[in-house]
Amino acid sequence: MTDKPKVSYPLFDSFKDKLKPRRSQAEIALSQVNVFGRLTKHEIRIVEKNAHIRNFAPNEPIFKQGDPGNGMYIIIDGRVGIFLDIPNQEPKQLSELHDGDFFGEIALLDESPRTAGATALENSTIIGFYRPDLMDLLKIKPGIGSKILLSLSEVLATRLRSTNSELVKVSRQLEEILGQQDDE
Amino acid sequence: MSDQHPVRIDSQSVRFFHQNLFKTLVYFFALIVVLAAMYKALPLVMDAIFLIIIATVLTAILNPMVDRLEASGIRRIWGALIVFGGIFTILGTGIVKGIPTMLGEITRIKDMIQEQSTTDSLNSMIDNINTKVSQVIPNFQLDTDTLSDLTAQFFGQLGSVLAGALDTLATIVFILIITIFFLIDGSKMMKRLIGMVPNRYFEMSLNISYKTKKQLTNFLRGQLLAALGVGIQSIIGLSLLNLIFDANISGVFLIGSIAGMANMIPFVGPFMGMAPAIVVSLFNNLGDPIAAASYYYIIHIIVMFLIVQMIDNNVISPIVVSGSMEMHPLTVILLILVGSQVGVLGMFLAVPAWGIFKVIIQEVYSGLKGHHLI
Repeated sequence: MTDKPKVSYPLFDSFKDKLKPRRSQAEIALSQVNVFGRLTKHEIRIVEKNAHIRNFAPNEPIFKQGDPGNGMYIIIDGRVGIFLDIPNQEPKQLSELHDGDFFGEIALLDESPRTAGATALENSTIIGFYRPDLMDLLKIKPGIGSKILLSLSEVLATRLRSTNSELVKVSRQLEEILGQQDDE
Repeated sequence: MSDQHPVRIDSQSVRFFHQNLFKTLVYFFALIVVLAAMYKALPLVMDAIFLIIIATVLTAILNPMVDRLEASGIRRIWGALIVFGGIFTILGTGIVKGIPTMLGEITRIKDMIQEQSTTDSLNSMIDNINTKVSQVIPNFQLDTDTLSDLTAQFFGQLGSVLAGALDTLATIVFILIITIFFLIDGSKMMKRLIGMVPNRYFEMSLNISYKTKKQLTNFLRGQLLAALGVGIQSIIGLSLLNLIFDANISGVFLIGSIAGMANMIPFVGPFMGMAPAIVVSLFNNLGDPIAAASYYYIIHIIVMFLIVQMIDNNVISPIVVSGSMEMHPLTVILLILVGSQVGVLGMFLAVPAWGIFKVIIQEVYSGLKGHHLI
């Protein structure tokens, strides 16, 4: 059996193409973040309308260590370095983040100072989603706001579990070391 | 040979210095041009700024209701129209029916005061007050002209304010149009405005604007609810005095409204609300021996307003008024003195205006400090 040749209708295809909702880069980036994982495409579009797209030049700080935390950032395009300030030393780079990566999501929940600074390493386009935006969503679109909060709680729970297991591992290692010292 | 080496400046540093110097000079020049333009244009745009300020205050009051409707699934534009329609139908009916009645009441009280100031009963009462008070405060002298001038001036100015409000219908329409745009698209406008802030100050500006908006909304809503509470209580209280003691206090709604509005001024406000009630009772009951025996119901009025204040201070205000309004009594007195330069309306608005200004300054200061910019 031979396959039927696919007939193309340029006019119809172009019309069909136009009807397809186009997703912006920002929407795609947002949908990849676990905090917004529970949201539908329509809800992501509403989040995007509330968020802020910012452009950073190379070496331009996004936030500094010690600044009050105010929100999270999602990289659409570019590279971002996370730096730790050490007194009397050059800042130490902890990690490098790329397109689709996100950081600072815990700052959506509390205003405690940033534990590290973030600086753009090249021309970068970044989405900022801040606590006021989340508060506005909770007020105006409580459904979306509570989905985001639920996902944030999951992120926190996962981190707490992993911190607990790390703690257990470290305390076991410590016990072993202390036991060996006692034997000696 | 000397150990000192000449300081070398590489060409890149020189270029960087020149670029920065050029940038600073351009910014400085631009700032001067903007300031000069603002100085020249300020009188022209003053009216527009006034309209925008009033519309912003109205938006801050109505926004929570529109937000609630939007949260229940109604589109923002319809929510804004529903709230706007509802509120302004009630207010419009009130203004159309209420202002002519209030103007009538004010004119009647004003005429009555001027009429009564020539009667013997008032003179004999003032003589009586002068004799009693001069025992405590030497050289105290109150005469009929001063008393009637003061009260007539107060009611006259109040009347002209209300009459002016009717004349400026076009202004009101403009304010309403701006308010409805602010209600529908305010957050988008704000987002665009904040989007213009440089990256370094962006997070801080967003935070400050959010907190200021929240504080202002709470402050205005609290002030209005407290004023409404005091106004309603005063109307009920004065009506009860009329009903139980036959106190013959006319213009109960007008006096209640004044008491409610005056309550926005801490410390002095309650007395400002009480004064018109006492004056009206005094003039209405002159020559009546039963009223004279009850000291023209002045004590009744004072006790009634004290009860209203107690309910307001202990029940209503702690629930509705934000704590940011705490002010030193001296600040309040100074503000009222400054406001009085503009007239009665200035006295009423000086303290709430300072409250709004204080909230903005507090939030900007804590934001700048939090980001280590000061």
